[in-house]
Amino acid sequence: SSQLAPSSDSNSIKVFVRVRPLTQGSGLTTDGDQNLCLTVTSPNTIRLLSKPEPRTFTYDHVADMDTSQDSVFSSVAKNIVESCVNGYNGTIFAYGQTGSGKTFTMLGPSELDNFTDELRGVIPRSFEYIFFLINREVERSGQSKSFLCKCSFIEIYNEQIYDLLDTASASLFLRENIKKGLFVEGAVEKFVNSAAEAYMVLSTGWRNRRVASTSMNRESSRSHAVFTMTLESKESINEVVNIRMSQLNLVDLAGSERQKDTHTEGSRLKEASSINRSLMCLGQVIMALVDVSNGKNRHICYRDSKLTFLLRDSLGGNAKTYIIANVHPGSKCFGETLSTLHFAQRAKLIKNKAIINEDTQGNVK
Amino acid sequence: MDDEWRAICDKFTNAQNLTDVESRKDPDNDPFRSKYKARELLREIYCSLKNFEEPPVDGQREDVFGQGFSGDSPAGLRAAKLGAVEYYLGVNHVDTEELSAGQEHLMNCMKLLERCRVSSENVSLFIHVRNQLGILWAGRDETETAQGFLETAESIYQRYMKEDGSPPTDMTEYFTTEEKLLTHQERTKRFELAYTHTMYYLAQVYKNLGETERAATYCHSTLQRQLQLNQFSPMEWALNAATLSQYYITKGRYMEGRHCLAAATVISGLAGEVPSEAAAQESETECERREQLRQKRAEIARCWIKYGLNLLQDAKKLLEDNIGELDSDRQEELKRARRREEEEEEKGRKSALLFGSEDTFDSIASLEEKVPCLLPLDFTEARAVFLVGQTYVTQAKEYFQMDGYVTDHIEILQDHSSMFRGLAFFEEDLERRCKMHKRRVDMLEPVCNDLNSQYYLMIRRQMMFELAETYNEMMDLKLTLANRQADTESLDNHTIKKFNSLCSASAKYFQMFLDSLCSPEGKSPEHLEEEVLRPALVARFRVARLHSQLISSVPTMQLDNLNRSLENYKYVVEYCDAHPEAVAAVETELELSREMAGLLPLKINRLKARMAENN
Repeated sequence: SSQLAPSSDSNSIKVFVRVRPLTQGSGLTTDGDQNLCLTVTSPNTIRLLSKPEPRTFTYDHVADMDTSQDSVFSSVAKNIVESCVNGYNGTIFAYGQTGSGKTFTMLGPSELDNFTDELRGVIPRSFEYIFFLINREVERSGQSKSFLCKCSFIEIYNEQIYDLLDTASASLFLRENIKKGLFVEGAVEKFVNSAAEAYMVLSTGWRNRRVASTSMNRESSRSHAVFTMTLESKESINEVVNIRMSQLNLVDLAGSERQKDTHTEGSRLKEASSINRSLMCLGQVIMALVDVSNGKNRHICYRDSKLTFLLRDSLGGNAKTYIIANVHPGSKCFGETLSTLHFAQRAKLIKNKAIINEDTQGNVK
Repeated sequence: MDDEWRAICDKFTNAQNLTDVESRKDPDNDPFRSKYKARELLREIYCSLKNFEEPPVDGQREDVFGQGFSGDSPAGLRAAKLGAVEYYLGVNHVDTEELSAGQEHLMNCMKLLERCRVSSENVSLFIHVRNQLGILWAGRDETETAQGFLETAESIYQRYMKEDGSPPTDMTEYFTTEEKLLTHQERTKRFELAYTHTMYYLAQVYKNLGETERAATYCHSTLQRQLQLNQFSPMEWALNAATLSQYYITKGRYMEGRHCLAAATVISGLAGEVPSEAAAQESETECERREQLRQKRAEIARCWIKYGLNLLQDAKKLLEDNIGELDSDRQEELKRARRREEEEEEKGRKSALLFGSEDTFDSIASLEEKVPCLLPLDFTEARAVFLVGQTYVTQAKEYFQMDGYVTDHIEILQDHSSMFRGLAFFEEDLERRCKMHKRRVDMLEPVCNDLNSQYYLMIRRQMMFELAETYNEMMDLKLTLANRQADTESLDNHTIKKFNSLCSASAKYFQMFLDSLCSPEGKSPEHLEEEVLRPALVARFRVARLHSQLISSVPTMQLDNLNRSLENYKYVVEYCDAHPEAVAAVETELELSREMAGLLPLKINRLKARMAENN
C-alpha cells in the first residue's frame, strides 16, 4: 500500500539549540563583547543568565560552541533524511537572530564552493547522505527500485514568493491540488542525479537571495528561503508498481529579530512592517496550535502567511520536523536570545493533531 | 537663538521626513539608510537642546499627577523636548533592529518625564513612550513588563481626560514654528489615535496572558474607536470584526457574535464593488483588488457559516435525550422559558455590545434583524438557521474552489455536512432525515476517495470517520423504519440488501480510518496517540457492532461476521487492559465490549454446532 502515516515518535517537533562561538574582527557590533548571557549546562539544557533569577530551558538537544558540523548533522538531519528516502516528508528549519549562525549551520562558511570542506553545513551533508542512501537502495533492490529527484528553490520576501532558480519570473502563487497537495505554481524544478548537482542548484539560487547590510550585522537575510527536494521512488514487484513520493524541505528563515513587526500598525512603516509578516504569523500559528480550543467550530479569517501555509504539513502535520534554533551567546544579544529560546520552547508543544468529529452519543444502543 | 531654533526645527522636519517618507524608498541591500541619516539629525538636535541653559529647578518629584515641574514651565518644556528627542531616537533604534539601544533611549525619555506633571503639553509623549516600551518588551516575550507600561498609559489617558481633556500638544509641535501649530481637531485626532494603539496593544498583551475575556473587550474597544475616528481600512476592519465574532461564538454568546458579523458584512461593503473579471485582466491593480475583495468576503462568509453551525449544534446538545433524539419535554420547557424571557426583554432592551458610526449604525441593525440569534427549538427555527448558513456556504465556495484551495474547500464541505446533521436532528420524518444524511455522503464521499492520502492524511481521517458515522446513522434509520412495518425476521430482500450495504459501507470507512493509523508496513500501532485514542477505539467498537448486525442467511458468512466482530471487541478489551489510561476515554464502549467478548463465543459455538448438525 502507498498509504503512509507518521509513526508515533514523529508527532512532535524536535528542537535543537546551537550556541555559536563569539566572533572577533568580523565587523559585527557584537564583536569584543566577551560577556556571556548563557551557559550550556547539559546536552539538553541551557541556562540563560537573566535577572533576577537565571532560567533553564530544556530541548531535545543543546549544542555548545565546540560542536562540530558533523555532529549537528547526525543529531538533526540523519534521521529525517532516512525517513525521507522511506517515503515520509521531512523539514528542517533554521531559526534565530541574524548573526547567530543559521547560514553557517545550514550551509557552512559563505563562499564555499568546495563541498568536501569539513565545515560544510547540514544541507550539503544531507545531499550526500540522500544520494548515498538512494544508491544503496537501488543496489539492494537489484535495480527493481528507482528514484527520481527534483529540486526547487524559492524565497518568500514581503509575503511574495519568488523563484530563486528563475529570477526573471514574476512572483508566484501557492495552490493546492487534490492529488498533488500543496505546490508553488510555476516554480522551476531541476532534476538532479547526484549530491554535486543538487549542490549546484542550491548555490545558484543562494546567490540570488535578498540580503542586506545593517549596522547590527554585516549580512542579514531579509527573506525566508525554502529549498525543496522531491523524491519519487518506483518499485516494481511482481508486475505491481509501487510509487512513493516524499519531500525534504530545508528552510532558512529570515532573522528572527524582526519580530517587532508583530505590533506595528498603520501606514507609518508599511513597507518595513510587511517584510517579516511570515515570521510573525509563524509565531501566531504556533500559539494557535498550542492553544486548546473548547471543541467549538471556528474560522479564523487570516490566511496563514505564505511560509506557514507552505510548511503546514511540517507544523503539526504529517511530517518529521526539526527546528534548529541558533543563538548568539553575547550578553548584548540577551533579548533576542531569550525570544529565540521562547520560540523554540513553544515549537516543542506542537503536536500532530487529528481532530475527529465524533458523535459521542446516539449510536450506542 | 531664533536662528538656532529655526535650524533645530528644520532638522526635525527633515528627520521626520527621512523616517516616514524617504525610508520607504531605501534599497533592499541598504534598508535603513534613511533611518541612519535621521538618527544623526536627531543626535544633533539633542546636543543643541542640551546646550540650552537648564532652568532653575523647584519642587520635588512625586507621582505623575502630583508634584514636579508643571508641563508648561520652562523646565517642564525643556524636559518634554529632550524627552521627545530621546523618544524618536528610541523608535529609530528599534526600527533598525537595535533593540537594546532603543530601550535605553526610551528609558531616558521616561526619566525626563518623571520629573514633570502630566499636562496638555506632555501627555501625548507620556502615552507614546509607554506604547513603544510596551511593544519592545512584548517583542521579547516579557509580557508582564509590557503590560505594566501599557496599563500606565491607559490610566494616564483616563485621568487626563477626566481632569483636563483639552486637545493636547502633539510631540511634533515641540519642533515647529508658531505658524505651523496644529488645529485642535487634528490634535485630538492624533491623541485619540495614540490611545487607540494603547488599546490595541493591551488587547494583544491580555491575549498573551491568557486573559481572553479582557482581550476581547479591548479588541472591541479598538475596533469601535477606529470606526468613530474614521481611521480604518474597511476590509481589514471587517475581517477583525468577523474574527472577533468567532470568539463570542465559542463562548456561546450568539447575540454578540451576530452583531460582529453584521458589522463585518456592512463595513466590508464600504470597500466597494469587486472588479469584474474583464477589468482584472486589463490591469494588475484591479486583478489584485478583485482577488483581495473576493477572498476576504469569502472569509467573512465562512465566519457566518460557523455561526449557523454552532447555533444548530448547541441547540441539538441542549435538546437531545440520552439516545441522541429530540427530547420533546425539554423542548416544551425551553419554549416556555423563552416566551417568559421575551416578555422580560420588552421591558428593558438587552444591552449587547455595539458597533457603528452615525452612517453605519442602521445598516448593521437591519442586517442583524434578518438572522436569528436564539437557539432554534424546532424544525422551522432550525431550518431558518440552516438556510442562512447554506447561503454563506454557496458564497464561500465561489471563491474557495476545490481546484486551488483543497483544504479550504473541504472544510466548507465539512461544515455544510455538519449543518445538515444539525438540521436532521430536528426532522421528525425519518425518510426525509435519511435523505439529509444521504446529501452528506454525496458531498463527502467522492472527495474523500480522490484525496491524496499522504498530503491530506488528517483531513482524510476526519472524512472517513464522518462517512462511517453517517452510513451508520442511515442504517439505524432504515432499520427503525423497517421495524415499524415488520419484525426483523421477516424483512424483505430489498430492505435487507439496503441495510447490509449501509452496514458494510459504514464498516468500510471505519476500517479505512483504522488502516490510516497503521505503519507503512501495515502494522497497527502498539500505542495510540492521545488525539486518536478515542476515535480509534470507538472505530473498533463500531466495526465490531456492524459485523454482528450484518444480516446473512448463509451460515459460513454469519460465522465470518461474528468472528470479525469478536476480534474487534477483544481488541478494545485487550487494549484497555494493556493501557489502563485509555479506560476513561471509552468507558461505555469498553463495558459493552467486555460483555460482548463474553457472549459472542457462546453464539459462535452455537452456530458452529448447528452448522455441524446440518452437514
